[in-house]
Amino acid sequence: MPDLSKNAQCVLKILGSGNSFTTTEILELARTEKYADICTDCAGGDAFVAAANQLVELRRITKKFGKGGYRWQLAKD
Amino acid sequence: MALKPKQVIDTMNEYYEMYPACAGRSIHKFGEEASNAYSASRKIFADFLNANRPEECIWTRNATESLNIVASSVKLPKGSKIITTSLEHHSGSLPFIERAKRDSLMVEVIKAQPDGTFDIEDWKRAIDNNTSLISIVHSSNVTGTIAPLKEIVELAHDRGALVMSDDAQYAPHHPLDVQAFDVDFSAISIHKMCGPTGMGVLYGKLEHLESMNMCLYGGDTVRDVRFEKGIIIPEYLHPPEKFEAGLQNYAGAIGAGAAAEYLQSIGMHEIEKHERALLEIAMKRILEMDSVHILGTDDINIKTGLVTFTVDTVPSAHDVATFLNDEFNVMVRSGWHCAGPFHYQMGIDPKKGTTRASFYLYNNIDDVKVFLEGLTSLIEISS
Repeated sequence: MPDLSKNAQCVLKILGSGNSFTTTEILELARTEKYADICTDCAGGDAFVAAANQLVELRRITKKFGKGGYRWQLAKD
Repeated sequence: MALKPKQVIDTMNEYYEMYPACAGRSIHKFGEEASNAYSASRKIFADFLNANRPEECIWTRNATESLNIVASSVKLPKGSKIITTSLEHHSGSLPFIERAKRDSLMVEVIKAQPDGTFDIEDWKRAIDNNTSLISIVHSSNVTGTIAPLKEIVELAHDRGALVMSDDAQYAPHHPLDVQAFDVDFSAISIHKMCGPTGMGVLYGKLEHLESMNMCLYGGDTVRDVRFEKGIIIPEYLHPPEKFEAGLQNYAGAIGAGAAAEYLQSIGMHEIEKHERALLEIAMKRILEMDSVHILGTDDINIKTGLVTFTVDTVPSAHDVATFLNDEFNVMVRSGWHCAGPFHYQMGIDPKKGTTRASFYLYNNIDDVKVFLEGLTSLIEISS
């Protein structure tokens, strides 16, 4: 975890709190008090989604495009 | 961010490989070559803008720094008013908002029309004898709309106000003649015009640059620093040196000149024409898509070569950008584009944002077709 950026840590923490989330849901949660300590760079969302895409490349999370856009979830072990 | 032509990369590599030295300091051969290239680049850039003289072009880190230098250092009367707009990039508004807070100045924000244009009547009403400075984005990085700058400058100067033009989005895509526009200041971003990152230019009329306070003090800004009776007494240089303290990004400045030279060799009118031809094709097709909504005017004659939009079936612009990148290798920008106020004004949740596709001199009709194909596919899958 410590080698990941704060944004990436935040994405993992949010995805760990449920089954799957849309991009907008992740960004909404990132702005809540619960994640305020690590989610610091989410105002515009672009850096945040870039971090999520890096996590996909690291196979830590998955994303699937369908109706309404992407859904993100933690990768199954 | 624009792609970098070989000419720019070669020029910068040449500096690093052949004469990697400080300009204006070292007397050795490398130093002399670096000094010559550095000042030649400033001259090239001044010609690119049609500045009256090279000293009116200050090298900065980016357009944001250029805007901040003016906001923090230009002399404005106590109690006077700064005018800015709801369409500004954060870098075009925030430095002036903070300056107003610092010196208890007034700020008036002119609201852009929903299509990103301005109603000149709003400017006629707002600019009064108490207005000291206007900060306006010449071409919006969100809507691409081009402001009626010349009219606004005339109104401003009639009332004795200065005009700071944010040309970060304008300069790379249109012929920019600072003397014809008669702006007092212009901020330019080099990375958007085929040049290196971390470079910008502040253009200012020499009389204003002369009268402004300095922002950074230190090496390379001084004519003399005496020590008399236990007191250090500095004597500072004139522009541009007074605004370029310390060791500079010589490769960046030389690369900026190469970028300006490259664009000029193609011709800014040609670039503008080419972009608008591509934009017209893209806009025509997008306007036929019921679930896609363009933010900004669809009049390409007052628009830079970009189109920003939302998609009903994909609420997050980041999803649009990710899909186009992953599936079609089309790279577009998503988010609020550092223009929060206009997104809020338009009722667009900044978290969802908007998607911006930009066209430049190296794009062609096939690129536009792939982009449109990707957008069509995105709508089909997401509906």
